[in-house]
Amino acid sequence: MNGHDAMLDDVAVYALGALPPEQARAVSEHLASCKECAAEYRRLKPAVDAVAYSAEACPDAATGAVVPSPRLKTRIMDEVRRSAPARLSNVGEMRAVRPIVWPAYAVAAACLAVALITTAFNISLNEAVRSSKAQIAQLGSQAKILHREVAVQSTELADLTSTDSQHYAVEDGEVVRHGNRLYIAMDSMHMPPRGKVYQAWIMRSGASRMTPSVTFMPDRTGIAVIHVPVQASRVVELAVSMEPEGGSKQPTSKPTFIVKLT
Amino acid sequence: MALENAARLMSRVRTRDAAAFESLYDAYHRLVYGVAFRIVGDVAVAEDVTQTVFLKLWSAPERFDGGNFGGWIARVARNQALDVVRRKSHSETELSEAMPDSDLLEERVFSEIDAAQVRRAIAQLPAEQREPIELGFFGGITHAEIARRTGIPLGTIKTRIRTGLGKLRSALEGMVAV
Repeated sequence: MNGHDAMLDDVAVYALGALPPEQARAVSEHLASCKECAAEYRRLKPAVDAVAYSAEACPDAATGAVVPSPRLKTRIMDEVRRSAPARLSNVGEMRAVRPIVWPAYAVAAACLAVALITTAFNISLNEAVRSSKAQIAQLGSQAKILHREVAVQSTELADLTSTDSQHYAVEDGEVVRHGNRLYIAMDSMHMPPRGKVYQAWIMRSGASRMTPSVTFMPDRTGIAVIHVPVQASRVVELAVSMEPEGGSKQPTSKPTFIVKLT
Repeated sequence: MALENAARLMSRVRTRDAAAFESLYDAYHRLVYGVAFRIVGDVAVAEDVTQTVFLKLWSAPERFDGGNFGGWIARVARNQALDVVRRKSHSETELSEAMPDSDLLEERVFSEIDAAQVRRAIAQLPAEQREPIELGFFGGITHAEIARRTGIPLGTIKTRIRTGLGKLRSALEGMVAV
């Protein structure tokens, strides 16, 4: 193998993202000046993207594959909508326009314009129909997601109301353990200030300190029902604190509550 | 989702269109979460990584400068997840550099991706090629570290990675927009 063949091997490792920083920089600079290596990089890069796609979570939870919680989308979209600009939706908000008196000679031109607009309106109507069909297809997809979410919520409701569940009272709510599932059920939680979220912390049996778990927000009425993704039988203590968005590795504020699950 | 649609949605996200962002989330959250979970191995942490990736996309959409959106967001997810692993780990393991979010070179792109088809193609690679590729991508370790762990000479590891990626590229030829 000559020196350039070895460089082509390095290009493959670079495309995979498995070079140390210094070598990665050297290969990156080389690619800018070597057509053969640049072509090899372009050839292999889609294969690396394919490796990423191989990890895509299966959309069908029934197969046992891990899929993200529907609540994750709620959390993200809440944040996005909070920072999205409000859209002008009320006609009354539009600036008043001074009435214009048309001269007589313009009436004929206006008639022609009306005819053109009518034609354009028909075209626009066809586009609207196509758009509506696309929206119907999208709604069908959303309905499937909602169906799955309802199934999850039904399980939670059954767990929370089961006589077999263990309930641990905390301020403004309770912690509920049913078998191996663990929930935080709050009924009047304060909305955290902007940039903050609530975060759960769990202490496993035999552990010396708490480890971070899910972050969450109550709804506008202060209600939050959160499934804590942990093997509940191994948890001996649970706490909740207010943390910066994205959560913390260590608690940064006094816990809202701590409860022993014994 | 077709590439063109993703690019169009991203241009709407740049105008702060939350509905366009939601469509992108619906189409790509399983990819982002899947990559994150494969790297961090924890449901809650993978969800946190997914949340961080999408909120970064919302707050700085200009970071995507065209090309294969799926490949781009998967790299962002990989970098974010490996960053979490690095912060938690204090081992002496040699870790690779984060992949560039964007490439200066023009990139051939996927028109449609079928994850099951990709998994089958990867499964058909010989283990000696598949393992270093998966270790390098999801393990976030360097080729030298892969060689050390497997006891295989470094040059051999590099050649196997290149050969494996080449085979994968050929197997997926029909999925790449020409």
